[in-house]
Amino acid sequence: MSTKNNKIIITFNTISQAMKMEKILKRNKIPGKLAPIPREISAGCGISWISNINFKNYIINIIEEHEIFIENIYEI
Amino acid sequence: MEKLSSKKFIVILGLLAGLVAIVLSAYGNPKNMAICVACFIRDMSGAMRLHNTAVVQYFRPEIVGIVLGAFFISVVNKEYKVTKLTESSTLLIRFIGGIVMIIGALIFLGCSTRMVLRMAGGDLSAYIGFIGLILGVSTGMIFLKNGYSLGEKENINKTIGYVFPIVLLILFIISITTTIFAVSQNGPGSMHAPIIISLICGIVFGIVAQITRMCFTGSIRNFIFFKNIEMIFPIFVMFLVVLMYNVFTNQFVLASYGPIAHAQNLWNIIGLYIVGLSGTLLGGCPLRQVVLASQGSIDSVFTVIGMFIGAAIAHNFKLVSSAAAKATETNPAVLGGPNINGKIAAIICILILLFIGYLGCRQGNKNVNKK
Repeated sequence: MSTKNNKIIITFNTISQAMKMEKILKRNKIPGKLAPIPREISAGCGISWISNINFKNYIINIIEEHEIFIENIYEI
Repeated sequence: MEKLSSKKFIVILGLLAGLVAIVLSAYGNPKNMAICVACFIRDMSGAMRLHNTAVVQYFRPEIVGIVLGAFFISVVNKEYKVTKLTESSTLLIRFIGGIVMIIGALIFLGCSTRMVLRMAGGDLSAYIGFIGLILGVSTGMIFLKNGYSLGEKENINKTIGYVFPIVLLILFIISITTTIFAVSQNGPGSMHAPIIISLICGIVFGIVAQITRMCFTGSIRNFIFFKNIEMIFPIFVMFLVVLMYNVFTNQFVLASYGPIAHAQNLWNIIGLYIVGLSGTLLGGCPLRQVVLASQGSIDSVFTVIGMFIGAAIAHNFKLVSSAAAKATETNPAVLGGPNINGKIAAIICILILLFIGYLGCRQGNKNVNKK
């Protein structure tokens, strides 16, 4: 059975950075959503952005270009 | 991992949480207080003689069970991770936050968990207090949206995380094998299920709370913020189970206040406002703080210690609300609610939390600018 990762998860230290990212990604029409951090990544109650992995490069470029302060990037 | 988060499994866990509440209530815990983190920490504080209010002194095995259950399941699921905020000075904020959180809860006469159980019992004052919880979370979210952060977390030595559950276990053993700890002869502290049932129920509840990430403030936060009901779901199932049980056993009584509660609704709102705001700023409601402490968060350990001390402060300085009571042949009606000490303390608690929010915004924005 294939276990290829199909989601990219961005986690944040602050909600304000999560909201900043959401605003910019929506403006750039990149599909995804803010959601609780998936259990596979953490048992905590932080916030994450979840998108299809196909948008990984776009998202990373946006993070760098707009200096969005993130905690980590995961692929699941 | 996927199984843990599947909807069916979450419903089963919510059901289990509700059953735990039913069993504890049926076996002797105070009515509508089957599980109340704030009240139980207060009782344990009294048992350890941090305060001497005779009617609320008992070393509640439920809290010990929650800690052990959450610790155990976090180790089994490899989610046990010992962390602390890199800025050690924030531990003081966590400690003070815990004090403030429990003072708010004792003004309402219950934490957010008990609020739900009271709602399931028909206690209208809990429904009104719920407004305060939502307002408190909403206020906290203003700070979150403005960059609030107490800093980054770092992993530390795993063995440090064992201290909290081990110390609690030792204290529990002392409580059942010696007469050093105080035990209430009357009042809520004297109402309790048998020790073994309390402990087992606590363990089950701790396991459920850890797996579902049960958090009454976090769930409201996520719903308001991005319409996510994932964390509300198990709480709602628990509420439904207890509600149905109360209805079928004729224990559902729609009343302006239930047992061990009061109808001074402004202060019910304010009490839970404090719980909602502190829960949002500290990353979890009272139950969630206990669970996080059990799975390795040293910051939450300090919050829980603050809750123990805060409970003692609340009783020693008479900040706690009194329960309302109807008039009887020999006694007049009692309005209940906080006295002047409690009211002043509530205002001070809100001011402290707003200051913590301000400090957190400064800290959070400083960290972002530094990066």
